[in-house]
Amino acid sequence: MSVNETTEAGSGLRLDTLSLGYGNRMVVEGLDLKIPSRAFTVLLGRNGSGKSTVLRACAGLLKPKGGAVLLAGKPLSRFGARECARRIAILPQGPAAPEGLTVSDLVRQGRYPHRSLFSRWSRADEEAVKEALELTGMADLREQPLENLSGGQRQRAWIAMSLAQQTEILLLDEPTTFLDLAHQAEVMRLITTLVKSRGKTVIAVLHDVNQAARHADHIVMFKAGKLVQQGPPNIIMTREHVRCVFDIDPEIVHDAKTNAKFILS
Amino acid sequence: MTSRHVVLAAALLSVPALLLASLALGDQTVSRADLRSLFNGSATEQIRMIVLDLRLPRALMALAAGVALGIAGAIAQAVMRNPLAEPGILGINAGAALAGGLVIVGLKGAGAALLPVAGFAGATLMAAAVFALSWRNGTSSLRIVLIGIALGSLAGAGSSFLIAFADVADVQRLMIWLSGSVYAASWETLRRLAAWLVLPVVLACLAVRQLDLMRFGDDIAASLGQRVNLGRAFLILLCTTISGATVAACGLIGFIGLIAPHVARNMVGEGHVRLIPGSALVGGLLLMAADLVGRTAIAPAQLPAGIVTALIGAPFLGYLLWRRRHVGQ
Repeated sequence: MSVNETTEAGSGLRLDTLSLGYGNRMVVEGLDLKIPSRAFTVLLGRNGSGKSTVLRACAGLLKPKGGAVLLAGKPLSRFGARECARRIAILPQGPAAPEGLTVSDLVRQGRYPHRSLFSRWSRADEEAVKEALELTGMADLREQPLENLSGGQRQRAWIAMSLAQQTEILLLDEPTTFLDLAHQAEVMRLITTLVKSRGKTVIAVLHDVNQAARHADHIVMFKAGKLVQQGPPNIIMTREHVRCVFDIDPEIVHDAKTNAKFILS
Repeated sequence: MTSRHVVLAAALLSVPALLLASLALGDQTVSRADLRSLFNGSATEQIRMIVLDLRLPRALMALAAGVALGIAGAIAQAVMRNPLAEPGILGINAGAALAGGLVIVGLKGAGAALLPVAGFAGATLMAAAVFALSWRNGTSSLRIVLIGIALGSLAGAGSSFLIAFADVADVQRLMIWLSGSVYAASWETLRRLAAWLVLPVVLACLAVRQLDLMRFGDDIAASLGQRVNLGRAFLILLCTTISGATVAACGLIGFIGLIAPHVARNMVGEGHVRLIPGSALVGGLLLMAADLVGRTAIAPAQLPAGIVTALIGAPFLGYLLWRRRHVGQ
């Protein structure tokens, strides 16, 4: 596993007065944000607050209307498409695979940006796929058709594809939506492993505030395209912030055992 | 050996078998001894002409056109992300028919000789128009399909309108050409088709990974480093050149582009490394078989191969869909 050894400041992702929109409709305007490297950052906000849009821009899937997404100090647009895909992986919400693929067919796709036109399937490719399958616990299911998998297994197969990309940065758009509690916990555990023992930078859009409070290192709250607040969960998970962002009036409970805060709406 | 291997081996062996059958069968049956006489140089002038000048180029033309249509179909289905897609969706057939109608009506009898050129031009112009009109900050598979269908029906209406004013004999010539046939094959037309096909077919074989990835949709493909709009434009260009060249050589042969990739998928799976050659193989076999049936079934009358492919193809596709009815949700 090649963890990029560049300095913290150099390798990270930074948004510089970023403006995003679709057609004439602006979703985000003048956003400045520094994503901490080798940490798990969660983007929170109500539907339509712009968090998924920001995530897509971070992967270069959406061109900025103004400002830039900087990777290692350089605008993403200056990276080639493949180069970008070797450094940042994104798993969009509810991805769909063509019919008839097995888990291993899917995961092998993750090697696309690492292969040139004439290069054959290499040892490094095989290793990366194997490691991704093992990390996600999908090694035993590798020959299964995707159609035969449960929702949680399928989600893990997709995460395995992104891991096979071997990027420093992994972006996940609502990776736990539609999963039952056990599978949600599994995905969150996997993310923690990736960050803590693999040194990856993970950014996820989550809907579950408690999941964010419990697992994230850094939380960014959006409201109507604006950054409301950011910081470690223990500091920014206040009644006031949650009320402002989600328009609910919550109870915040502190759990001494895990030192996490829980939001009761 | 699995059953897949057996089917694949049988398909590969069918190529020389069908080729031999195409040389031997017809209005005048050529015996095995006659075929052998061709190799040791003792064949009569008549046998040489029938086999070498008429049947061999015709069978090879069917093989080449079938290969081309199979590959074009596999590309179209990947680019359009739709199992029912075929090159015709890009407006290729409708464009060729309209251009054919224009030269037939505009130039009267003289237009017939220009049909191949007109067909190619009409096919490529139409595909270009479909692509250009579906461009809105990039293209999408769905927009291409919808605009292709819309422009296709517009061109269809146009050619029906033209045909209403053409001379009956010219219209018949146009209709025969449109229904797709390899009866006019000669070494010359075969050479021209092959020359047109070499480069795009090689490029299609090199694009197998792009094709694999394209089926995942724009977001996934882009996130893995594919330049989706560029890739799609390139693959559509390949598909258009391949099918346009085939239209020019043998008119509109339907269904091969649609069913060859489906049959191939059953034989070799989804990966384009195998699906492109597989579709080529199945397409070539189907068209050779269709032409052989077309010229022997109701001999001495000949059925254009395009009609036979539709007659065989449609029920076969139905069978495939019926067999797979329990797959998926």
